[in-house]
Amino acid sequence: MSLSWAWLFLLLATFPWLLGVDLLSDAMAASGVCLFISGAAIIAPCRRLRRWQAVLFSGCVGFLFESLRPIPDGSVALLLVFVAIYLTSHRDAIRDLPKMFAAAVVVNALACSAWFIAAGLAHTKEVPLVSLHFLGQWLLHLLLATILAVLLLVPLTLVQNFAMDRIGVPQPDEAV
Amino acid sequence: MDNNRQGAKASYVALVFFIGLWLILPSAVRRFNREAFAEFQAPALHLVGKGRDLARYWELKSRSPEELAAASRDLARINAALELKLHSLDDARKENIRLREMLRYPQSTEFVTVVARVSIRETSSWWQRIVIRKGRSDGVRPGCPVVFGDRVIGRVSTVHLTTSEVDLVTSPGFRCTAFLEGDEQYHVVHVSGRAGLSLSAPRALVSIIPLEYNPPAGQIAKVMTTGLGGVFPSGLTLGTLEAGVQSTAEKHMQTGALTPAKELNFIQEVSVLIPKYPTAGEILLTPADKPEEFR
Amino acid sequence: MKDVDGQNPSAPSDPISAWRLRAIFFFFSAGFIYVAVGLGYRQLAQNDFLTNQSDNQSRRVVIRPPSRGKIFDRNGYVLVDNRVRWSVKADLLALQPEFRKEYLDLLNKEKARFPDRRPDYDQLQQTARLNVLNAWLNKIWFVIDSTNQKAAKGSAKVKSTPDLHPEERMVHPDALRKHLNERRALKFPLILDLAFPNSGHAVTPEEGNRAVARFIEQFPVHGPITLEADMVRSYPNGKLAAHVLGYVRDSDILKGQLDDVIEDEFVNLQKLGYTGKKGADGIEATYNEVLSGRSGWELWTKTSSGYNKDLLKLSAPVQGANVTLSLDTKIQKSAEEALAKIVDSQGKPLPAAAVMLDVNTGEILALASQPSFDPNEMADRVTQIYFDQVNADGGWLNRSTQGLYPPGSTFKLITATAGMRANKIDWDDILDCGPSYMVGGRAFPEHEPSGYGQVDLEKMLAVSCNVWNYQVGLRTGPENLAKEARRFGLDTPLLRKPSEHDNHSTTELPNPATRMVVPDRAYKQRVAGEAWTDGDTANTSIGQGYLLTTPLHMACLAASIARGETRTTPSIIHDPGRDGRHAGAEPIGLTTPQLHALREGMVRCVEEGTAKSVRIQGLPYAAKTGTSEYFKKGEKAHLAWIVGYAPADNPVVAFCVLVEGQLDTSTWGGKTAGPVARDMIMAWQSAAEEK
Repeated sequence: MSLSWAWLFLLLATFPWLLGVDLLSDAMAASGVCLFISGAAIIAPCRRLRRWQAVLFSGCVGFLFESLRPIPDGSVALLLVFVAIYLTSHRDAIRDLPKMFAAAVVVNALACSAWFIAAGLAHTKEVPLVSLHFLGQWLLHLLLATILAVLLLVPLTLVQNFAMDRIGVPQPDEAV
Repeated sequence: MDNNRQGAKASYVALVFFIGLWLILPSAVRRFNREAFAEFQAPALHLVGKGRDLARYWELKSRSPEELAAASRDLARINAALELKLHSLDDARKENIRLREMLRYPQSTEFVTVVARVSIRETSSWWQRIVIRKGRSDGVRPGCPVVFGDRVIGRVSTVHLTTSEVDLVTSPGFRCTAFLEGDEQYHVVHVSGRAGLSLSAPRALVSIIPLEYNPPAGQIAKVMTTGLGGVFPSGLTLGTLEAGVQSTAEKHMQTGALTPAKELNFIQEVSVLIPKYPTAGEILLTPADKPEEFR
Repeated sequence: MKDVDGQNPSAPSDPISAWRLRAIFFFFSAGFIYVAVGLGYRQLAQNDFLTNQSDNQSRRVVIRPPSRGKIFDRNGYVLVDNRVRWSVKADLLALQPEFRKEYLDLLNKEKARFPDRRPDYDQLQQTARLNVLNAWLNKIWFVIDSTNQKAAKGSAKVKSTPDLHPEERMVHPDALRKHLNERRALKFPLILDLAFPNSGHAVTPEEGNRAVARFIEQFPVHGPITLEADMVRSYPNGKLAAHVLGYVRDSDILKGQLDDVIEDEFVNLQKLGYTGKKGADGIEATYNEVLSGRSGWELWTKTSSGYNKDLLKLSAPVQGANVTLSLDTKIQKSAEEALAKIVDSQGKPLPAAAVMLDVNTGEILALASQPSFDPNEMADRVTQIYFDQVNADGGWLNRSTQGLYPPGSTFKLITATAGMRANKIDWDDILDCGPSYMVGGRAFPEHEPSGYGQVDLEKMLAVSCNVWNYQVGLRTGPENLAKEARRFGLDTPLLRKPSEHDNHSTTELPNPATRMVVPDRAYKQRVAGEAWTDGDTANTSIGQGYLLTTPLHMACLAASIARGETRTTPSIIHDPGRDGRHAGAEPIGLTTPQLHALREGMVRCVEEGTAKSVRIQGLPYAAKTGTSEYFKKGEKAHLAWIVGYAPADNPVVAFCVLVEGQLDTSTWGGKTAGPVARDMIMAWQSAAEEK
């Protein structure tokens, strides 16, 4: 199996998790909140994939999230690509588990904010951008995004690492 | 490490280049990209829906024969009642057609109904969407009304090959006209989705209610479609008018909140009403079918 | 392969590196070109952005007119309402990019066609705006026209909008220019009123609703074209009581008192106003200040090109107060319907007036004037054609309060009263009345060629004997006749507002007649420069000659006689606390038998006399008819009168009807005006029974 397609296989391995979180949001629809995990999903791949692969992977994760939501195209995907470039060039920032947790929380919160604000900007007619409601809703989503990142990072990483091992992606230290 | 950092710079430049390109690209390219990723997910969404169906199937399968017998008996009764109703409706329909022709009143729009399962819902505070498992290949077109029985769920906003996204009644992208129950003068009121406030569910707003309108005493007023706009058939229930209609700041009209007719968060199956002929609004939005004057 | 991909990608000896170098070179060249192009582009964009930033520093205040108060009749029935007006508007600021694109297209075309000529930039810009707006308008018409939805084969097609000329479906260039010059900050109305899509051309409410619904449901939700709902004046009963209600016309609300409306710190900012409304006739005009309410305001930031950008603050307008009129819609309706039946030989309604009052309070229950107008036609814009048409018919004149006519035989009530009060005749005196009476060598005729013979007061009133009045008038003398007429207030202006309401207008209805004439010797000397003759006295005694008064005055006279007093103060405003006292009123000054005979004569007029044809079974009422002569456009014509009160024994309402006849002798008091009075009394009766 060619290693160039590693990002795609990894994407297929990650997709059920993204879908699962979407379904969870679906089940929680009455509360009016959306669960967000796309940011945390790129941490493990960024440790081991080569940069261009990590970039493709992150972009796809972002676009998958955007495709069913009425927000400006690329707002989440391009941010994740930026983060992927940063992480692949600062791999020591995600070398061990505690650092990965920190990164997952930061990235997930960042991407969640990007999504939330972009969505707000796309609906300026309906959404009072400068208001306590907006702030409250945003903080709520940020909180959920950080919690979800902490909860799901370990199982997500295990699955992604397993997939990468099977494809033959080199271990993080070798990849640097 | 150094190599890595240097390569990163090139990557950043490439990213900036790409963002610039992304911004000036024709919107068709972005739309295609979005479409492609939506289609990528479509099979999974179908699968999820099928999985739900299967679960329901096994759940039903586990019922005892007694339960099934009772259910079938109930069904037979309902069937008989409906049969009777159908008969009287047929007469009413004929009468309706005759009267319409007499008064030279425009024919109401004819619809083809497509039943669709809900595969996923996307309800955040400022949009309210569900994804259904019927798409372009099933004849669904943007703008089609989506109903559950005689209750309005929303309108199709985007159509993919095998799935469609539906703007719910509470979505900011939704608007239509309605009559209020108990309003003998049939004032046209305006129903539109509104973004919810923090930690509260989104709602729809009923506006332009005349000041002299009072909800019928002791009951909650239904909000029903007018059928005048050529999109929704008349007499469908949009929901009920929540108590506490307020007059606007200028004190010359009233507004109120709408409770959707169907619990939108738990809906599993909907019907899409596809007009037999495209509406004027549809024609306007579809470049290929535009009439001569707009080309 | 795996190893190569996975590790140390930058080994110099790697054959791939040359390919990579080239790729990188190519990549960077492309990047450089992009950056160079992008820089130029950014420069422009940045420039706009910065310009915008500075624009936002300035602010302006937009004044919003309030909606007017409603007008009710005495039973709470709505006479004047506000209806929702749906208008389609274009956000010019949001359309700027489209304008610009179209402008550049036009400019390029122009330059290609005439390379040597300097293009007219202003004109091109205007054309570009027009093109863009017309394209949108085209789309709107396309959507709201229901024929654009294919229906099943063979079904009837109905248009939801009237067939308009293509020009009428376009933006009017002058309107756009005016809007841009005066109020570009506000949205530009593409279709001002979907219920009146073409000026003065209404569709049915059903069709209006359909147009609104089609727009709402089929037009894209987000975009530069919006649908706005505001309130405009509506007269749900059309022409009903139009002269009383009046109409409204556009007003510049910036001219009003704004200092107490806007917060102090914003008073000095630039101000812009939506079009307001002010009353132009009827109650709308005389009670304009009550009905108007208070304007609201909005504080906006504005761009350098003068458009509004963000709304910072607002204060909502306050609706005006309601006014309750004394009119009773049922009676008013019956009066107008009955008047409409009086037509000339070509079937055109004759000019006429009808008034009904409450005998005790003087509140006006009905006040009709024909021909009339539809205030709805004036609610949005005065269409000159409609204005001229009403003008040509004489429809603007309120004949009940403004029309001056000789009262004819109805004046005989005053002649008789004057005679009795001057002790020149008593109620049971019988006079010999032949076919004519000689006054100053001239024979004054009776309207009955054979004469009436022996006539007393009651019979005189029943048959309207002229000769009896000539004799009594001459005996009483012109001074006494005039004094009596003035005692009954025939030349006193009516409908004055009580002093505490004295503000903008001093009268309850606009310009009630003030030039009534009760002639005496001095009057004739002044006007004609001639001495008074016995002939003048004879003429005055039968309500002819110089006498001029209004139908409202005559209705008040009937109400006064019904109460046994001299004056009735009419009012169009309903006040449940009225005490029935009337300014200047005094007892009529007749003995009981005299007053009884006067009233009995009026009853006999209905039972057996000139108003016999309009008697009502089971409801005796009192009336006096009159047929006077006047000059219409220089030619002699007849006026038909009837005044009276009902019921005969316990008077509640008094009435007066006047019809301007044609240039023939087919108009007679009882026959022509009587049916209107009868219908009004019956409407009053059925309304009273319902209560």
